[in-house]
Amino acid sequence: MSESVLRLENITMQFGGVVAINDLTMHIDQGEIVALIGPNGAGKTTAFNCVTGVYEPTNGAVYFHDKLIAAGHPQGKMKRMYAGTNADKFVGMKVSLTPDRITHMGIARTFQNIRLFKSQTAFENVLIATHLRRTSNIFTAAFHLNYKEEKRNRDRAMELLGIVGLADVAEEKATSLPYGMQRRLEIARALATQPTLLLLDEPAAGMNPQETIDLGLFIQRIKEKFGLTVFVIEHHMDLVMGISDRIYVVEFGKLIAEGTPHEIQNNQAVIDAYLGGNDE
Amino acid sequence: MRKMSKLRLGVCLTVVALLYFGAWYAEKSMGANLGQAGFMLVGAYVYAVFTIPLKKHAAVYQYYNGGIIQFELPLIVALLLAGIVAALLAALIGLPVLRLKSDYLAIATLGFAEIIRAVVQWDSLGPITNGSNLLKTYPTFNNTKIFGTTVLFPFIVSGVCIALILLIINSTYGRAFKAIRDDEVAAEAMGVNLFHHKELSFVISCFFAGIGGALLAMFQGTVQANSFKSAMTYDVLLMVVIGGMGSVSGSVIASFLYIACSEWWLRFLDNPLTIGSFNVPLLRSGFRMVVFSAVIMVVVLFFRRGIMGDKELWNIGMRRQKAGRRARK
Repeated sequence: MSESVLRLENITMQFGGVVAINDLTMHIDQGEIVALIGPNGAGKTTAFNCVTGVYEPTNGAVYFHDKLIAAGHPQGKMKRMYAGTNADKFVGMKVSLTPDRITHMGIARTFQNIRLFKSQTAFENVLIATHLRRTSNIFTAAFHLNYKEEKRNRDRAMELLGIVGLADVAEEKATSLPYGMQRRLEIARALATQPTLLLLDEPAAGMNPQETIDLGLFIQRIKEKFGLTVFVIEHHMDLVMGISDRIYVVEFGKLIAEGTPHEIQNNQAVIDAYLGGNDE
Repeated sequence: MRKMSKLRLGVCLTVVALLYFGAWYAEKSMGANLGQAGFMLVGAYVYAVFTIPLKKHAAVYQYYNGGIIQFELPLIVALLLAGIVAALLAALIGLPVLRLKSDYLAIATLGFAEIIRAVVQWDSLGPITNGSNLLKTYPTFNNTKIFGTTVLFPFIVSGVCIALILLIINSTYGRAFKAIRDDEVAAEAMGVNLFHHKELSFVISCFFAGIGGALLAMFQGTVQANSFKSAMTYDVLLMVVIGGMGSVSGSVIASFLYIACSEWWLRFLDNPLTIGSFNVPLLRSGFRMVVFSAVIMVVVLFFRRGIMGDKELWNIGMRRQKAGRRARK
């Protein structure tokens, strides 16, 4: 395998009898912006949750920089109920890291429905995300012996707020900010964990066309600035086609196409999936 | 003289109440903990058992041949030990309990508090805990002098505790605790290890609960496991709700008001009162609690976010200024 940042191998995620993702294989290379698109309920967010450790895949393996971060195979009751393919391929492999471990390794994410820390200011929201790279323990932190690190973190949080253009509202309550700003704040918070791979779950949801264009430029800007690799789920085709290097399309949990924006636009299967073309 | 003792009563109760709130505050991140009374009991017993003067052992442990602990510790060491033992116990109990969430967590902690109470009263532990009998004659507020006065000691101890709590709250760990309270999923996605941090805040809160229990023992002069019922935990929760969830100064003010109302200002309602030849109706033993309940209901109805909301006393002026500045813009 080449130098993939993230590699999903035959991921199947099954909730009881419902197969949310079926045999999804994909890879994301260093410095790419890769989009995952598909109709509602196709399993896009589930794929994210498998990568970030929220779910443990029923079958399949996820590698991050060629290191196994999640793997599973059908066990117990699932053996009988399993409806996916490759049931025997991953026997004996079982890795499930908690989301905080995975974030620690360098994968940061945002959420489809914004999940900011409600009672806290924009600044504190970003500052909390610097907690995981701490070198202090509870005693040195309580007695402020880590003041150098603390200062560094505060400066960094402020700098990140500046980069996403929220420095003016740093002391405002996070939930009192306009929607678009909350989205950017979530990205700033994700960046504060010092990731190498950024997962964006519908970052443009609820944005108007102008805001969407700005967001596209913004994503490209932070990608260059922080040397990131970006994996994005999105419904706004303008945004997806504008910024993506490659696109994966899923429908009913199955991968139906992959390729450059140009290829995807002309792919009959994708057009059918989005417009329901088969019947006519 | 009588008035003086009432004042002292108020002062001491306030101080004990301060400790209650501290115990509660750190644990906010892990959700409802109804086991507070159990850990206060542990603190109270540890303090009492290790500070009873050797000479008095025979009298206190009269049913257990003078007990098996044949030494006594200095007051401050015993006080610290009270917190540490409660914290260690919390660490153990936290391992299974903190895997639960919300209501289930509350019920489990409540259960453990009851278990602790039962175990302490167990006859086989009598040589240490004196079974279900009283522990007494250990140093109390009334005979603990600093700079020649007995008033200072409770204030100093609770002041130190509150300072520690504030330091922890304002550290990076305090922020992580708050983040977990706000949104567990997001906190975990931002790299906060949920179990580790919940365990930590549970241990910290129980450390202060232990010290609070020891101070309560010092205030009461005697300790008996039977008095550490879950009603004590509800008192703490009530104070916190009245004070405002998330406000240190609010909790302090509320705990003072709560204790002062229930034990001091409303006391007169319990005594029959005759003005001239007119016998004021309703005033009899127990009426105090009726009025007190009404007061609490009024507070809960009209100050739904507590007296202070999530503001601090020293922030009120500041927030207004900022709001004013925004308005001017």
